[in-house]
Amino acid sequence: MTEPEPAPARAAPMTRQSALRRFIARPEFGPLVLLIAMVSLFTVINPAFASLTNIGNALTFTVELGLIALAMTLLMTAGEFDLSVGSIFGFSPVVMWALFNAGTLSLPVAFVVALAVAFFIGWVNGMFVTRLGIPSFLVTLGMLLVVRGTALWVTNGFPQRTWEAGDQWLASVLVGDFFVGGPGGLRVYMSLIWFIVLAFVLHYVLTGTRFGNWIQATGGNSGAARNRGVPTARVKVILFILSSMMAAFAGIISSIRVSAANPNSGTGYELEVIAMVVIGGTVLTGGRGSIIGTVLGVLILRLMRNGIVLIGVPGLAYNIFIGAIILSMMALHAGLERRHNAGT
Amino acid sequence: MDDANVPLVEMRQIEKFYGRVHALHDVNLTIKRGEIVGLLGDNGAGKSTLIKVLSGAVPYTSGQIRIKGREVTLRSTNDAIDSGIETIYQDSALVPQLSIARNLFLGRELRKGSALLDRLDLDRMNEVAAELLKRVGISKNIPPTTPIGSLSGGERQAVAIARAMYFDSDLIILDEPTNNLGVAETQGVLRFVREARDSGHSCIFIAHNIHHVFQVVDRMVVMRRGTIVADDISPKTSTIQDVEDVITGEQIAV
Repeated sequence: MTEPEPAPARAAPMTRQSALRRFIARPEFGPLVLLIAMVSLFTVINPAFASLTNIGNALTFTVELGLIALAMTLLMTAGEFDLSVGSIFGFSPVVMWALFNAGTLSLPVAFVVALAVAFFIGWVNGMFVTRLGIPSFLVTLGMLLVVRGTALWVTNGFPQRTWEAGDQWLASVLVGDFFVGGPGGLRVYMSLIWFIVLAFVLHYVLTGTRFGNWIQATGGNSGAARNRGVPTARVKVILFILSSMMAAFAGIISSIRVSAANPNSGTGYELEVIAMVVIGGTVLTGGRGSIIGTVLGVLILRLMRNGIVLIGVPGLAYNIFIGAIILSMMALHAGLERRHNAGT
Repeated sequence: MDDANVPLVEMRQIEKFYGRVHALHDVNLTIKRGEIVGLLGDNGAGKSTLIKVLSGAVPYTSGQIRIKGREVTLRSTNDAIDSGIETIYQDSALVPQLSIARNLFLGRELRKGSALLDRLDLDRMNEVAAELLKRVGISKNIPPTTPIGSLSGGERQAVAIARAMYFDSDLIILDEPTNNLGVAETQGVLRFVREARDSGHSCIFIAHNIHHVFQVVDRMVVMRRGTIVADDISPKTSTIQDVEDVITGEQIAV
């Protein structure tokens, strides 16, 4: 308590050095380096990679999975994950378009109903996990089958028509496009704007709000959080609902873009989304998560898919690269973690 | 009602069943203001059930609890915290991934701006945390943004105790606070406990190491098979051997 203050002259360079070191030790640092290296490599091999058209296209496909990854980041930070997002991605547009095509509801109302159904699915997931104490792996695996099965059963396996969407204001709000820098410039879809806005909002929620503090505490040490009066069960239920609704939102956007609500779409997306999130440095066991990292992870996986085709690698080899990236990123994060713990 | 002669906590005829297991049987315990009570007993004697009841973590089957003379029902940990009871569990006091400041205010976060934005006042939280760290004497080179995971065991206990003191808890329950700590760190924790008492907080101190308990408590309470078998053993007039005999049941009382 009576220690003299350290001399400022000595302290200043120390803090500058440790600021650099802190930046390198951040979980987002590895994915950032990888992204920059990847983009440079692709551009050198095939300059078309950096063209406005290609970037515009790549970003469009990016956001549909990216939206789910944003919500999944918060859920995984709270220590849970959701395997049912891919099936909700396929099921929700089926619900919306079936209701609209039957002429019972207007498109905006059908949209709200589809989101409400997703809300309910997420709530059921959350209740099974928090009330019955069943691991989220099993709960959401069961839900995946129930939701996918319902989508196939309701539609007899046939895609729903969506082509009346053209003159709907809702469709233009969700996926309308415009050009930045006049015709021939960068083509930007509304879905990208949604992704950017939601990334900012969820980053703020995770790092700047009381609820975000609760999310991190719930995943980090739920016993300690409960002892301090944090409603950990409610936090998890809210995040399961968020993840479901985001999957529905992304699925609806996708169905308008490709003009089809296919009950099979989204198959396997859950694993790709989880891959995006962990590449970005969010820990599968909870407690630490980063929206910035997830955005980087999303870009890495989608630009990789786009880039390896452009540089002439067979598209079927895509999964080899994804698997290798996941493994090396996990090794990097584990190494940083170990060094971080040893250094203190 | 709030005068100094009224005991801080009075537990009367507390009974607790876990299914058919009779975990607490006719427990009567009084804690006065500004005293450190050592709670001792072998594994399964009922110590942890007793503190869980007092911290609102588990409901009791029957009995009464009075705090400062007023009867209370403790249905949740929030009820207990609101009544001024803060429990520091050995493994679940702090979140390792969160910073010192975020841990200090966990569940009681400071916010600013509109409630709708739910915005943390991180500047203020860090400021208060730095102040508090200085007060407990571990400020040296530890900024309040340091994650708890990179602190030593003794520093973590210090943060947890500092938190209880900051929120002005009347009763701080310490569950095995000296477990897995080195000699110097243990002395540090015992010093914090005394400081807490000297600034008017009461403490319940639970530890397996009777030597640590002896160094710091005003009196000792011993539990055996779910009930209190001795409730006023003074460390001044008894030996460690006496207390051990009471814990194991070799001796009825001191």
